[in-house]
Amino acid sequence: MSDTREVTDLTWEADVVKSDLPVLVDFWAPWCGPCRMVAPIVEELGQEYAGKVNFFKMNTDENPQVPGKFGIRSIPSLLIFKGGELKGTIVGFRPKSDLKKRLDEALLA
Amino acid sequence: MEQPNQQSIDKMWNYAAKFAEKSGTHLHPDRFITEGVVLGLASNIDKFGRPLCPCNFYPSKDENGNWPEGLYLPREEEVKRRDWICACDEMQKFKYCHCLLFVTEEGLPITEHLPEDHEGREIYGLVTDPTPDKGRALAKALEKQQSAE
Repeated sequence: MSDTREVTDLTWEADVVKSDLPVLVDFWAPWCGPCRMVAPIVEELGQEYAGKVNFFKMNTDENPQVPGKFGIRSIPSLLIFKGGELKGTIVGFRPKSDLKKRLDEALLA
Repeated sequence: MEQPNQQSIDKMWNYAAKFAEKSGTHLHPDRFITEGVVLGLASNIDKFGRPLCPCNFYPSKDENGNWPEGLYLPREEEVKRRDWICACDEMQKFKYCHCLLFVTEEGLPITEHLPEDHEGREIYGLVTDPTPDKGRALAKALEKQQSAE
């Protein structure tokens, strides 16, 4: 079962802002090439960090409000939140080791 | 997710193959990646009349016709200019395709011509252009114009 769930403009507050755990959100779109490369890596990380970090993905074609609020331009963009606050932004495709390093750094911030 | 019409899909496959050849690049070797981008471009032709890059977030207009500042334009406005119409300005100037449609044979985007502080350099490092004599039509036109002045 996937540990990465969908978040929407409507569920953002409950799922991300009020989350007890840190959160990583993958902003993606269905027909974006690098999004297709990042998605399986995010899925894997979701399993590895289960119980420590909540993983979500947001379809930017269907949810215009939150991406606009966070100044998203290129996708994929991965945003990391702790206590509802933005702690890290990763733009574009990255290998898993790089994503993991950046996630760990953001969790310590 | 609505499938684009076949005519638009065929048009974009044809365009992508021709542009790759013309610019000295390759379509991404992973068909799943390439197909996604081609379908996205075709979908934007169907909905907005132009092959707008599907690897960006374009905000929506609010009820008053406004949109947030500091972002790209809404799709219906963005198609009126050429910045993100495939092949986009970044491709025409720097031979860099952040959507990974036009890449090296190994599937990496060319970053050699990018400004050093561009995110593409940070993500992929220095990826040299294997065919510097091809592509970058816009950059070459600007260079020619500047040298004539």
